[in-house]
Amino acid sequence: MENAENAQKSKKTGQAEQKLLFESGNELAAYAAMQINYHVMGYYPITPSTQIAEYLDRMGADGAHSIAMIPAEGEHSAAGICYGASAGGGRVFNATSANGLLYALEQLPVQSGTRLPMVLNVACRTVSGPLSIKGDHSDVMYTLNAGWIILFASSPQEVYDCNICALKIAERVKLPVIVAFDGFFTSHQKQNCYVFADHGTVRDFIGPCNGDPGVLDPTRPVTVGSYMNEPDLINNKYQLHLAMEEARSVIPEVFARYGELSGRCLSPVGSYRAEDAEVLLFVLGSAYRTARSAVDRLRREGKRVGVCTVGVLRPFPAQEIAALCQNARTVLVADRQDSYGAGGGNLSLEIRSALQQAGLTTRVLSRIYGLSGLDFFEQDAVDLLETCFDPTAKAFDYVGVYPGEEGFTPEPCFAPITEAEASRVPIVCKEEGGRVTVTGATVRDTLSRPKRLAPGHSACPGCGIPVNLNLLLRGIEGNVVLLFQTGCGMVVTTGYPKTAFRVPYLHNLFQNGAATLAGLSQMFRKRQERGELPPGEITFIMVSGDGGMDIGMGSALATALRGDRLILFEYDNGGYMNTGYQLSYSTPRGAKSATSHLGERQWGKTFYHKDMPQIMAATGMPYVATAAESDPSDFIRKAAKAQYYARHYGTAYIKCLSACPLNWGDQPNTERRVIEAAVNSCYFPLYKVEQGHTALSYDPEAKGKKIPIADFLGMMGRTKHLCDARYEEIMAEIQAEINRRWERLKIQSAHPDL
Amino acid sequence: MNRNAKAGKLCSAELPLVNENGCYEMRLESIGGLGANLCGKLLGELGALYLGLSAAAFSGYGSEKRGSPVKSYVRYCAPDREILQSSPVEHPHLLVLFHRALIRAYPVTAGADENCTVIVNTDAAPEEIREELRLRAGTVCCIHAQELALQTGSRLNMVMLGAVAKASGFIPLEAVRELVADTLGQKYPAMLESNLAGVEQGYHSLHAQSFAPDGRFEAIPYGRAYSRWGYANAPLGGANPWFGSTVTNDLSPSREGYLPLFLPEKCIHCGLCDSTCPDLVFQFTPGQWRGRPAMLNRGLDYDHCKGCLRCVDVCPTGALVTGKEREHPAPQWFVRNVDLLTKESPLDPAGADGAITGESYLDEKRVDGGLM
Repeated sequence: MENAENAQKSKKTGQAEQKLLFESGNELAAYAAMQINYHVMGYYPITPSTQIAEYLDRMGADGAHSIAMIPAEGEHSAAGICYGASAGGGRVFNATSANGLLYALEQLPVQSGTRLPMVLNVACRTVSGPLSIKGDHSDVMYTLNAGWIILFASSPQEVYDCNICALKIAERVKLPVIVAFDGFFTSHQKQNCYVFADHGTVRDFIGPCNGDPGVLDPTRPVTVGSYMNEPDLINNKYQLHLAMEEARSVIPEVFARYGELSGRCLSPVGSYRAEDAEVLLFVLGSAYRTARSAVDRLRREGKRVGVCTVGVLRPFPAQEIAALCQNARTVLVADRQDSYGAGGGNLSLEIRSALQQAGLTTRVLSRIYGLSGLDFFEQDAVDLLETCFDPTAKAFDYVGVYPGEEGFTPEPCFAPITEAEASRVPIVCKEEGGRVTVTGATVRDTLSRPKRLAPGHSACPGCGIPVNLNLLLRGIEGNVVLLFQTGCGMVVTTGYPKTAFRVPYLHNLFQNGAATLAGLSQMFRKRQERGELPPGEITFIMVSGDGGMDIGMGSALATALRGDRLILFEYDNGGYMNTGYQLSYSTPRGAKSATSHLGERQWGKTFYHKDMPQIMAATGMPYVATAAESDPSDFIRKAAKAQYYARHYGTAYIKCLSACPLNWGDQPNTERRVIEAAVNSCYFPLYKVEQGHTALSYDPEAKGKKIPIADFLGMMGRTKHLCDARYEEIMAEIQAEINRRWERLKIQSAHPDL
Repeated sequence: MNRNAKAGKLCSAELPLVNENGCYEMRLESIGGLGANLCGKLLGELGALYLGLSAAAFSGYGSEKRGSPVKSYVRYCAPDREILQSSPVEHPHLLVLFHRALIRAYPVTAGADENCTVIVNTDAAPEEIREELRLRAGTVCCIHAQELALQTGSRLNMVMLGAVAKASGFIPLEAVRELVADTLGQKYPAMLESNLAGVEQGYHSLHAQSFAPDGRFEAIPYGRAYSRWGYANAPLGGANPWFGSTVTNDLSPSREGYLPLFLPEKCIHCGLCDSTCPDLVFQFTPGQWRGRPAMLNRGLDYDHCKGCLRCVDVCPTGALVTGKEREHPAPQWFVRNVDLLTKESPLDPAGADGAITGESYLDEKRVDGGLM
């Protein structure tokens, strides 16, 4: 969005002192937030925006800012935290991407409709499904109708600049602001950049926080969030419209003042060699920069081409865009997303409308490119510009698609696993006097059951997920259908065009897996009833990480409460490992993670690991069990029992502790011993709750094997600092909590009614 | 992050070679865990803050995991220009291979022309490496970085950093020393001396040889990735009917020099190895054991073994022991997956490359290879 002609030379010519850094877009968003020193950040990790919270947490650990960093259990709640915080009149910050943004979307009009300013960074990424973590603009375009101001930065430097301007704009017009930029290309690429040397420069520019304390002021009671129907609501929305119109003049003012300070001129539209161009390309984000060198290349060949970008998507700078296009014969708008069925991406549609409004008859071509981070090389920009010289070019098309290899059918690797093969070596579950007993489920015996998972998956060496999954599936006979919630387990097994599953598999996003499987299992029964599917049995199993059991806890609890006939299986590696290890609610207290750094002011995660089996048991579901790979036979028996209960009674839940050598900071070969230590320290006691009755499966005390919690925590890099004398008190508190949970469990296990 | 810029302290470096966008470009090819990502970042920082250049650095996204193929890209240009590209480096001036095994698995030299200098971590000579690379022309620099890292008590990436400085022809050793002292020296002061020794050794131990185009090998063009399924033939909705197809992946590049060796005569067929193996490498088939029908351990499918050595740790009889891969290039008990329909299907080279994108967080996990 910066006007490229005078960009470089003016970098350091502003009034304020600046210093050169070498940082990425995410680092600079965090740096700006640190300088602003927001009051509150509510967040939930999602690639590629996660690093923003991570960097802020690291800086906070060393006292560089005093922002309250609140890790929510999902983006919807993160947006709720931000909304509540902003209702108190202070400064609020958030960052998200893709489906995280969509999960929070409901909250966005609430924020703007009640006129509470805040700043949300969106590191743009493809909206699922199929799930992709790479970058395009399909997420941010959902926010066009949300009543937020939207700035779009095309470089790491602009991410910094926009973040500082955004808050000032937000507070001036009382509207929340999104700062969007390309995921990965901008969020992760490090470049030379300038920041204000003195944080005070930034704070003076934005001004002191004078936010109305609103509901925090008991002397002036106010109701925020009225129940409002006709005839009033339309007036509220008109006020929002007026604020957006006001922003049209406020934004250039703020940009101009910022330009004086920094020497960098932001503007609602950016252009390069556009004045005399007969052909103009419009692109958003990092592609604008790539296209500039393509323009230079074609100009050297004598072709009059130029490139433009839009730095403010809301309020949309229609007049400025029309002015740029006045002399162009053909305009090509390339979108990194599609408004399916509309004949173009959203930028394309809006530019067409802007030109028509200005009475221009310029030919406009629309192209969809670069979805899911498909690289945009200079040659791609050249090709798009060349298209404009072709009078027969289609009005709308995709670039970068290909038909595939004609007649290609991959050779099957395996034969499908038959029900009989999967039931080899009968495991017998017998129910007597309300108790179910299992026989035949040993490691040796179950070797003859075929593996439902194929080798060749891409889990890290030593990963516990496939180990635990295989142990579970050994205990399950017959046909199975697996549902994985998003997480490491899903990402490392189903990378297209391959899949590690030899049995039917379905994925859904991780706030919704249990509900999805409930729907699927009901469909199976209904279609069988109507004779559309053959008789027979399928065992339905949802597989989730502990992260999925944070964001998806509501869905899992509701499924258990309804008693859908399926198994919920949780592999708990104590963190959001798929996104680079941020704390989960199951991370041990005191553990360091990318969002609970060690530092002068922090000593790791502040709250205890969630006791998910007890939460599940409170639903009254027929079977809850914990299992550990250090006792594989017990694991297999519990799997068989879970199948029995899912067949005859309702929902069954098994949780296992799952090793993550990468993020636990231990050696892959030692993981079974680490898990054993978790069991022996009573961090992860083995027990089951069957029809409401708790029973220990293993009592380390009785066996003389109980060890202090420090012995377990000391085995992992993420927690071994707690063994240091400095953290003695915290370690003692953790031990006390472990003891409390263990004693309670023992009493429950011993009591006939508990 | 708060480090002050050093630009100007050293005058702006002259780039000996640039492409039409004025950029000098590097591509680092590695395996997760060897520290190439950090090396790329340090090179970017070097350019921006110590050499007075415009610089950019980024990694091939989605591959921070151990054992996965990693690509890192660095661009430099004159300070009065901007770096406008965000796409991968197609035509590197400097191509750095952190592991010789990469030559086997990937078209690493794609886009390299006669102006390219290739640095390879190996004890072999440039002639031999040129053959292995099938390099049309260019300069090959060999450095036994693994050995030098061991000798100096530093890290592989420090030695490679020194080697890059030397091979570039324009990066002064002093600038690298200063960078390492400022960045790593602050965080790990105890390691500084050995790291500097590693950089120094890297700088002084290159064996370089240039090869003119002699018609022996063709240039490998830089190509984009395509799947065999496209819009005309891919099953709708991304559904994948090719069940169990990851079995066609060769994961041996994920190993870090060690593998489990199987001593069949000691095996009691208890199956504990199978219960701890994340990679389903153990091949059990029906047979007789002590006069009774039982599933017998026939050996390992090493194509899928990532060398985690969990099995060695749990084996109660010592039938599984740790071996050096180099000493056992083809274990005689190698058994292909017994469930496969055809044993002849070709394998695709792959790594443990799930899409973890976070920066490596804990330092501890990289102690034996890269990040310190």
